[in-house]
Amino acid sequence: MNFVLKKVGLLLLTLWAAITLNFLLPRLMPGSPADAAIAKLAQSGPVSASVQAAIKAQLGVPTGNIWEQYVSYLGNLAHFDFGVSFTFFPQSVSSLISAALPWTIVLVGVVTIVSFVCGTLLGVLAAWKRGTWLDTLPTVGGAFVSGFPYFWTALLLLFFLGYVAGLFPRSGAYGATVTPNFSIEFFGDALYHSILPALTILITSLGGWVLGMRNNMINTLGEDYVTFAEANGLKPKTVALRYAARNALLPNLTAFGLALGAVVGGSLLVERVFNYPGLGYLLYNAVTNQDYPLMQALFLMITVSVLLANFIVDILYGALDPRTRR
Amino acid sequence: MSLLSVRNLLSVRDLSVGYESPGAVAVPAVKGVSFELAQGEFVGLVGESGSGKSTLGLAITRLAKAPARITGGSILFDGTDIAALSAENLRSQRRGGFAMVPQSGMNSLNPVRTVRDHFYDIFRAHGHVSVHDRLTRARELVGKVELPATVLDRYPGELSGGMRQRATIALALSLEPRLMVFDEPTTALDVLVQQAVMATIRQLQKAENFTAVLISHDLGIVLETTQRVMVMHDGAIVEDAPSRDILLRPQHEYTRMLLSHYGDPRADVVSVPGIESRAPEAGSAATASRPTRSAREGRAALETLVVDGVSKVYPRPRRGEQPVTAVNDVSFSLEPGQSMALVGASGSGKSTIAKLITGVERPTSGSIVFGDLRVDAIRRRDLKRLHREVQMVFQDPYTALNPLHSVEYILTRPVLNYSTLRGADARRRVLELLDTVGLTPVEQFAAKLPHQLSGGQRQRVVIARALASDPQVIIADEPVSMLDVSLRAGVLALLENLRQTFGVSMLYITHDLLSARLVTDQIMVLNRGSVVESGETSSVLRNPRDEYTIRLLDAVPNPGRADVA
Repeated sequence: MNFVLKKVGLLLLTLWAAITLNFLLPRLMPGSPADAAIAKLAQSGPVSASVQAAIKAQLGVPTGNIWEQYVSYLGNLAHFDFGVSFTFFPQSVSSLISAALPWTIVLVGVVTIVSFVCGTLLGVLAAWKRGTWLDTLPTVGGAFVSGFPYFWTALLLLFFLGYVAGLFPRSGAYGATVTPNFSIEFFGDALYHSILPALTILITSLGGWVLGMRNNMINTLGEDYVTFAEANGLKPKTVALRYAARNALLPNLTAFGLALGAVVGGSLLVERVFNYPGLGYLLYNAVTNQDYPLMQALFLMITVSVLLANFIVDILYGALDPRTRR
Repeated sequence: MSLLSVRNLLSVRDLSVGYESPGAVAVPAVKGVSFELAQGEFVGLVGESGSGKSTLGLAITRLAKAPARITGGSILFDGTDIAALSAENLRSQRRGGFAMVPQSGMNSLNPVRTVRDHFYDIFRAHGHVSVHDRLTRARELVGKVELPATVLDRYPGELSGGMRQRATIALALSLEPRLMVFDEPTTALDVLVQQAVMATIRQLQKAENFTAVLISHDLGIVLETTQRVMVMHDGAIVEDAPSRDILLRPQHEYTRMLLSHYGDPRADVVSVPGIESRAPEAGSAATASRPTRSAREGRAALETLVVDGVSKVYPRPRRGEQPVTAVNDVSFSLEPGQSMALVGASGSGKSTIAKLITGVERPTSGSIVFGDLRVDAIRRRDLKRLHREVQMVFQDPYTALNPLHSVEYILTRPVLNYSTLRGADARRRVLELLDTVGLTPVEQFAAKLPHQLSGGQRQRVVIARALASDPQVIIADEPVSMLDVSLRAGVLALLENLRQTFGVSMLYITHDLLSARLVTDQIMVLNRGSVVESGETSSVLRNPRDEYTIRLLDAVPNPGRADVA
């Protein structure tokens, strides 16, 4: 319990630091979005004072001293008020994010977890059956496919399965003819649309988990406690899972935490290739259009999700490894 | 044959085990070994590293894993050949059959499972203890190895080394084995703990009457414990005789060699091959007749290391715990050319003192002075001067050398660092150092990488490295504890020889009282950071006054004690 409280405290502290940095960094940069916009206009002719004021009002140039700004920033955050997007004006940033978030969480999140679980199990199997085809196939195959850049894999899948074979839709999260609601028809269609992007992420990430787990597992299989468990005549399944795999899993959890944290920001190119309306696609649009409020909110989202993922992994670590619970 | 197998629990015939690697000839580790074990017998299996004793131990419990493979012969356990058993048959045979307490038993427990889970896993695997009885049975078993029932709820990381080893033995015992193989069960443990665990093993064997094999590199422990000893050398059993006969009438030359390296540190005259005895009175004389400065071309130690009232307190490790006093008010002075032993069990603060003297850590109070250097408050830029004069020889020669660098490179670094020699001169100095530590032909050894050297040769390189800066003081922290008995004497003789010919002072840190007796004049006995006894080595060890010193002396494995048993 003490351990969990300590971790919660640490999480809150880092959250506060991240939020504050997110507040400070744009203010440390010279100029402001309004200055940039005015300078752009000024190239084509003189900008009148009223136009300048209008631009400043529109882009929300802050008023008051830094403390007042900080307090109002925190207040806005508490209401999830990140301002208004430039690109998708007049939609608010929070409405854009809340529309995109579920797509990303479900697609990338689920695939990351599935990939970790499958990869880990395959790795355990490979190490346990070392030297057989159950080892060679996942190991060599994993090393091969994990070398593919994922946007390239995405393009290949798109071309062969989507375009040439025509098996799967090539773009979007659901068809033009269905309306998003809680019907079986919609869910089926969404699932159908998610197969290619999901496959892309799975193919490129699975190999890493297989290799990592296999190597850890081979190390733990050489540990004295595994030999001792065998000497005590424990069943092979118990030895493989509770003795070897259980310990081999621990170092991989850290990598899993990072992967989980990267879910929000890391699917950018896949979502771009498939025009998938998730956060990665949104971030791509925000960056290409210099949409500061959207970018800032997304960066904060990414930071917070990394922190949360690490928090979850820390707690998981505590549950799995008594040595960290001190 | 059938008659034999009724009387004998285990009979091993012509057993060969080899290590196979693809594309290479199998390396034989056990070569056609035959022996019988009678029911209830306690047999020792002794040999140095690489003799094949552990491989044999793993083979007779069918734990040998690839690349090791049984290449020939049979292992009859109670009449069935276990070398030919299927995996599942073998697994179920492990209850009521043969159990193993593995080498460095400290790591034999799964760090993420409680001791209780370990017991339950075994009960579940064999179904010989019902869910209803399992807690009672587990309590009973830990009781047998003299552990409190509360350890059942502990994780291995929360137990001391001795407790872990006891838990491991209790787990092996839960199989109700008829044969138990102990593979170096106490090697990683502290001397005093080792003695207590061995006593428990002896009692258990008597009470439970299982057949036992004790594998060890330490003939002393084996002779103290077992009724019969098999001596293994180079994959073969070279002598197999009752313990008494091994002690009194050793037949094989190798057995005699092993025996010759034992001695009683309490005796009036102690010697092992290669190191002459130190006459009881020679202690002070040796100090007095140390080489003059000219004898060493100005290299002899000139300055005294004075440690005065030094304490080291480490902050409390966790909230609610007490700060740890590692060293408590220790004072001594190491005169030029003197050799002093610092002895004690692990945790007595001996290594901390080495860290304080080399400036790695700073004392909480007290002063350490060497020449004009105040070591206790040394500044960064003076550290190099200190390390030129005070050098360390580390315990583990297997980790003290960077595996990627050749011996020449390893020795060239300190030569360039501490002297003005460059180029061909530096190389000449490196070869000279190798010659000094007896690694000849020097050219050949200079080109080698650490993994191409034996443990003893590596330790010589470590010593050569310490000598490179021409130090006045050498601190040797358990320099021979990782080495085979037959190599120890050579390294100790080298250290002693260096002290006599070059006049360096030596602080010899050890838990091994016999070696302290052999190479030092003065001794300090440390217990929990405090000096409990000090004086001339020969008189302290012959007439110990402190109870702790007496306990340490009693813990020294002594083949002679087999007589009494």
